[in-house]
Amino acid sequence: MTFEIPFGPQHPALEEPINFMFEIEEERVVNVKPRLGYVHRGIEKIAENRNYQQLVYLSERICGICSFAHALCYSQVVEELLDLKIPERAKFIRTIVAEMERIQNHYLWLGLTAKEMGFETLFMYAWRDRETIIEMLDMISGKRVNYGMSTIGGVRRDIPEPMIKRMEESLNHLEARAEYYTKVCTKDPSILKRTVGIGILRPREARALCAVGPTARASGIPRDVRADEPYAAYGEIPFKVVTYRGCDVASRMYVRIDEIKESIKIIRYALKNMPEGPIRVKAPMRVPEGEAISRVEAPRGENLHFLKSNGTDKPERWKIRAPTLANLLSLCRMLMGVNLADIPVVIAGIDPCIACAERIALIDAKTKKLKVWEGKDLWRYANEWYRKRYGL
Amino acid sequence: MVSEEIWALIQIFLFPGFFFLFFLAFFTEWVDRKIVAKFQNRYGPLHVGPKGVLQPIADFIKLLSKEDITPRMADKVPFNLMPVLLLSLAITPLFCIPIVGSNALVSFEGDLIVIMFIMSLIAVLVFIGGWASTNRFSTIGSIRAGLQLFAYEIPMNLAMIGPAIAAGSLSISKIVDWQIHGFWNLFIQPVGFAVLTISLMAHLQRVPFDIPEAESEIVSGWIVEFSGKKLALIRLAKDFEFVLASALIVSLFLGGPYGPWYISPIIYLAKFFICVFILSNLRAAFARYRIDHLLAGAWKYLTPLALLQIFLIKVLGV
Repeated sequence: MTFEIPFGPQHPALEEPINFMFEIEEERVVNVKPRLGYVHRGIEKIAENRNYQQLVYLSERICGICSFAHALCYSQVVEELLDLKIPERAKFIRTIVAEMERIQNHYLWLGLTAKEMGFETLFMYAWRDRETIIEMLDMISGKRVNYGMSTIGGVRRDIPEPMIKRMEESLNHLEARAEYYTKVCTKDPSILKRTVGIGILRPREARALCAVGPTARASGIPRDVRADEPYAAYGEIPFKVVTYRGCDVASRMYVRIDEIKESIKIIRYALKNMPEGPIRVKAPMRVPEGEAISRVEAPRGENLHFLKSNGTDKPERWKIRAPTLANLLSLCRMLMGVNLADIPVVIAGIDPCIACAERIALIDAKTKKLKVWEGKDLWRYANEWYRKRYGL
Repeated sequence: MVSEEIWALIQIFLFPGFFFLFFLAFFTEWVDRKIVAKFQNRYGPLHVGPKGVLQPIADFIKLLSKEDITPRMADKVPFNLMPVLLLSLAITPLFCIPIVGSNALVSFEGDLIVIMFIMSLIAVLVFIGGWASTNRFSTIGSIRAGLQLFAYEIPMNLAMIGPAIAAGSLSISKIVDWQIHGFWNLFIQPVGFAVLTISLMAHLQRVPFDIPEAESEIVSGWIVEFSGKKLALIRLAKDFEFVLASALIVSLFLGGPYGPWYISPIIYLAKFFICVFILSNLRAAFARYRIDHLLAGAWKYLTPLALLQIFLIKVLGV
C-alpha cells in the first residue's frame, strides 16, 4: 500500500518552509516531489530600486546564517565592475570573518542534525559551543548575525591587537571541542547506526546533479571555490580541501567537523600574517555599464551572484544562486529508497536554507523567451489559476 | 474494628495510596527533567515553586484548562476513552507494589502476571488511540508502537519471570520478602536486570526508543491529535508508567523496602530514585534508534540473553 505523507511547509522537523510530498511504501520512500515558493521575498526585484551601497545590507538579509558569504559575494561582483583594488588587510579580514561564519554554521548544522536523529544532548552541546564563536563575531562586528562587515571597497571594521589575543583563546577552546565531536561522532554506536550508509549520493550522481559544497565533498569530489578560484586572501593561505568517500550522511558530518578544524587553522594563519594598512578604499556611487559574476564558497556550498549594470547608481539585474537550490536535485536523489525515519536526517544532511533558494524566473518553453512579470500579472495569473481549478 | 477501617482508608487514599502516588508521579517527572537537563548542560524547570519543583503540576493544570479538540474524522468512542483507560491502567499496578514493609496494599499469588498483562494492555491501548485519531502521523506512530511491542515484550516478561523463579512465587510481595531474607536479585541475576532496564526504556517510549512518538520524524506520533484534558491525562499516565517501571525494578531486583514501617518507605524511595537516575541517564546518552534496529536488536540480543538468564537460574539453582 502506498500512501502520501506531506512534509512541510510547516513541520516541526523541518525548520524550513518547503513542501515535500513523499510516497511511502511500508515506511520506505518510493517517490518524492519537492515544492518551493512559500517564502519568495522578491529580493531581486527590490534590488532594481536601490542603489549599490544600500544593496550591501539587502544582500546580507538573503540568508540569516551565511549572511557574510552573500555580502562578500555581492561586494566582489561590484568591485569587479568598478575595477577596484581593495587593500590587502581588508582581504585578510574578509577571509577571517568568512571562516568564522563557516565554523558557526557547521556547529549549528551539527546540533540540528543531532536533533533530527533524536540525540538532544549533542544538540545542546553543539549549540553551547556555537555561542563561543558567535560571541567572537559579536566582539569584532558588534552583531551576532548579519555582521555588516563587508562593504564595497573593503571592510567596515578593523581587528585590533587586543581582540586577536582573545580570539586565540576562543579558537583553542573550539579546536578542543571539534576534536571531542570527532571522537563522539566516529565512536557513538547510536549515531553511526543513524548515519552510516544513509542517503547515498554516488560521486557520478553528485557530478551529474551539480552538487556543491560539503554535499559534493562528502561524495569524494574536491569541489571548493576557495581552492578552485581563490578570492579574498585564500590564494595566500595554505589549506586543504576536506573530502570523504562515504557518500552518506556520516561523511557529510565528518566533512563539516573537519572543516571546522581547517577553518580554525586558516583563521590562525590569517591573524598571524595579517598585513598592516588601510581597510578600505572609497568606491564611487555610479557603476559603469557591464556584466560580472562572482563566486564565493559559503558554508553550505557555492554562492553565485550575477550583476548587470547600466551606468546609473542602481543595478539593472541582480541574480543570486544560493547553494541550497543547487543541492535540491541531489537531495531528491538521496531521498529515494530511504526509510521514513531517516528522512529528516537526510534532508538536514545538505543543510538546507530555503529562503535563500527562492527566486522566480519564467521561461517560455516553446520560444525560450524570458518573460518579466510584474505584480499585476502574477495577481491575474493566480486568480485565473484558482478560478480554473475550483470552478469559481 | 472501626479504627481498622479508617486505617485502610488512609492507606488507600493517603499513604501509600492515591495521594502519595500522584505526588510521586509529579515529583519523578521533575527529577527526570532536572537530571536530563543537567546532562544536557541546561537548567531545566526553574520558576514554579522552589527550583521549579511544581512545574509538572503547573503543566498538568494548564493542559486541563486548554481547549479539548476531537477531530471530525476520529473514531470518537475509542478516541475519548483511551486517555482515561490509559491513566487507570497505569495507576492500578502500583497498588501491587510493596512500599511500606514487604506487603503491598493488594497482594495475591499471581499479581506479577496481572502486571505483565496490564503493561501489554497499555501498549495495545496506545495502538488503538493512535489508530482512532485517523491522522497520517498518528497512524504511523501507532503501527510503530505495535511493532515495538513485539520487540520488547518477550524479553521484558522473561526478565520479570527470572526473580519469580528464584523466589518460587508469582507474588511481588513474596519476591520482595524472599530478597529481604536472602540476596538482592541484582547480584544473582545481573543479566536479567540489564535486559529489564532496556526493555522498560522501550516500554516507556523514551529516548533512544521513542520511536512511536519521534518528534522530528512523525511530529509526535500517536499523541499528535490529543489535546487539552486528554493530553493532560496521557502525560500523567506516562508519569505513572515511569513510576511503575522504577518501582518494578526496585521490587524485583533491588530488594524493595525493609525495616520497620517508619524507615522502610525512606529506603524504598532511595532505591526508587537510583532507578530513576539510571533511566534518565540512559535517556540523555543516546540518539534515537530506528524501528528495524530495535526489532533486530531485541530478537538478536535481548531475548537470547533473557533466556540464558532463566537457564542459569534453573541449572545453577541461583
